[in-house]
Amino acid sequence: MIKLTRIDDRLVHGQVAMTWTPSIGADCLIVANDKVAKDDFMKMTLGLAKPASAKLLIKSLADTVTFLNDPRSQPLKILILVNSVQDAAALAAQVSEIQSVNFGGIRTKEGTRSIAKAIAVTEDDIVTIKELLAKNIELEVRQVPTDKKIMIDTLI
Amino acid sequence: MLVTFLLLTLIAVFGHFEDFLGTTLLSRPLVLGPLVGLVLGDVTQGVMIGATLELIFMGNIKVGAAIPPDIITGGVLGTAFAIMSHKGPAIALALAVPISILAEMVISGLFVFRAVFNKKFNLYAEDGNYKGIQRLHILSGLLKPVLMGIIIFVALELGSTAIKSFLDMMPAWVQSGLQVAGNMLPALGFALLMNLMFNKRVAPYFFLGFMLAAFLKLPIIAIGGLGVIIALIVTQDAPKPAASTDDDFDFDDAPAETAPTEPQHKLSKGTLRNLFFRSLTLEANFNFETWQNTGFVFTIIPVLKKLYHTKEAMAAALKRHLQLFNTSPYGSTLIVGITAAMEEQNSQDKDFDEESISSVKLGLMGPLAGVFDSLFWGTFKVIAAGVGTSLAIKGNILGPLLFLLIFNVPHLLLRYNLTFIGYNAGTKFLQNLSKSNLMDKLTSGAAILGLMVVGAMPATLMNIKTPLNIGSSSSAVGVQAILDQIVPAMIPLGLTFLVYYFVKKQVKTTWLLLGLLVLGFAGSIIHLFV
Repeated sequence: MIKLTRIDDRLVHGQVAMTWTPSIGADCLIVANDKVAKDDFMKMTLGLAKPASAKLLIKSLADTVTFLNDPRSQPLKILILVNSVQDAAALAAQVSEIQSVNFGGIRTKEGTRSIAKAIAVTEDDIVTIKELLAKNIELEVRQVPTDKKIMIDTLI
Repeated sequence: MLVTFLLLTLIAVFGHFEDFLGTTLLSRPLVLGPLVGLVLGDVTQGVMIGATLELIFMGNIKVGAAIPPDIITGGVLGTAFAIMSHKGPAIALALAVPISILAEMVISGLFVFRAVFNKKFNLYAEDGNYKGIQRLHILSGLLKPVLMGIIIFVALELGSTAIKSFLDMMPAWVQSGLQVAGNMLPALGFALLMNLMFNKRVAPYFFLGFMLAAFLKLPIIAIGGLGVIIALIVTQDAPKPAASTDDDFDFDDAPAETAPTEPQHKLSKGTLRNLFFRSLTLEANFNFETWQNTGFVFTIIPVLKKLYHTKEAMAAALKRHLQLFNTSPYGSTLIVGITAAMEEQNSQDKDFDEESISSVKLGLMGPLAGVFDSLFWGTFKVIAAGVGTSLAIKGNILGPLLFLLIFNVPHLLLRYNLTFIGYNAGTKFLQNLSKSNLMDKLTSGAAILGLMVVGAMPATLMNIKTPLNIGSSSSAVGVQAILDQIVPAMIPLGLTFLVYYFVKKQVKTTWLLLGLLVLGFAGSIIHLFV
């Protein structure tokens, strides 16, 4: 069962390990990212950050879709981490169980504008966000579980 | 009065200077409370109020860019008003909670505002002007202590008479209600801590800690010691977890070996030591756009100065490190050390890919924040606060001292050594770490230890009893006496689990706070609790 799908460009870090994992009772963290899945160094560092109470899988987007659509993943309480709006949209398009996406952190870079404390998006991101909204997928901003949910549509 | 107010303001400013002093928990109410007490001529009261506030704000921690209520402003003002009006800890908390929430909004605003300086930082970087960057890092960092100092001074100047007469008018039932509510509020802190670490697998250790405290009346420091021993025994030679049966489906992500290149180590010990000291200012100029980036640049500048002698090379390096950065300050020097080694390699090797420095830095900052935040906030802070508050709540000045020592001796030792480990062993150290199951042992051992101490807390640090009697006045039997014979501290334990249940249900902390206040008031009025 997918407990949370989170966009966070730091993937696994303090907020994820210390607040989200215990709060939603996740026992399986999936980092869905094509680049990281091929990067042994990143895999190793993410492995260090993994909370003791959960297992960590690092998979490409395609493998993540296969995994999530496999009935054998149902008993797991899954927290999915992606690092971009596009990756989240790609997963949501192919995994019907994803009905809500949490925006945790997207850092500022060239061509972005900040729409919330830790969220900066590009024009492309906004197009993707609108597509997701059109599919009735809930898009909410929260860094940690105890934050108040702010809906993306009120921010763009 | 003016001198007193100025001194109180200085205490709060000192608390905010924590950002320059390595996030060493100087800002906690347990530390600032006694100082406020000292200024107002009642250290013991300051120690006790500090402990009470520490308990309530126990789960109040800073992870990532999520900013908790500002306990410095709330704590100093709350403690000061409580001591000045002679009304005790309950008043301190009634004032500290709303003030710290308001102050947090001001600080969040400042963190947004600080991003304005990023343009200036980038201009300095273009020019290779590291001195300008250092200066602006410090100046912008000073904004927080100065701004909050002004706010506190004004609040004291304008508010103290009003608050004092307001407190004087307060009816007795409000005060006893607040008292009971104040005794209940630690349940929220404990529940928030449990939320960080409690799960079925480690639940027995929580109850072990509780029973040692409730039945054997062991002090928290003894339970911490037992916790260390048990954690060592449990994690010793733990058999490797059996391989999963359906391998085709649930494969391991074993890291492959990457051949590390041997860099030439030329940076002196003094330079590296300098990195450690500078890393203490990592959080000074925290802002919501680029987080700790200028702190990182400030830290690494001695290395850049040694390695790059042309303006162009310096400018490139400065720009590289002005990228967004955010990690746990407690383990930051590991990344600093690794970066120093890579910069050195870059300066010697023409073909070195500069991009790799940024990618290693950015790749490590998240995961290492996870490791060190959990270790320090989830374990060391918990034990330090457990031991510290259990002494301080009785007015013992050793409480705050032990609190600082238990947290900072391991913190500073580790932080110092990680600079050298990062520089000398670099990513090889991390590879070895990930190959051995040391990390697993450490996290599970830390969870056991932390949870045992948290389990002891309701029994030791919460004073909630019921004055109810069963039967007529002549042959009345106290309900509390009966409860004590079954499980001592049953009410605190039950209350902690009740709050934990609602925390799990994702109820907002503010609502839980209000709920406990109402429960405390109601319980006090109908004489259910004292």
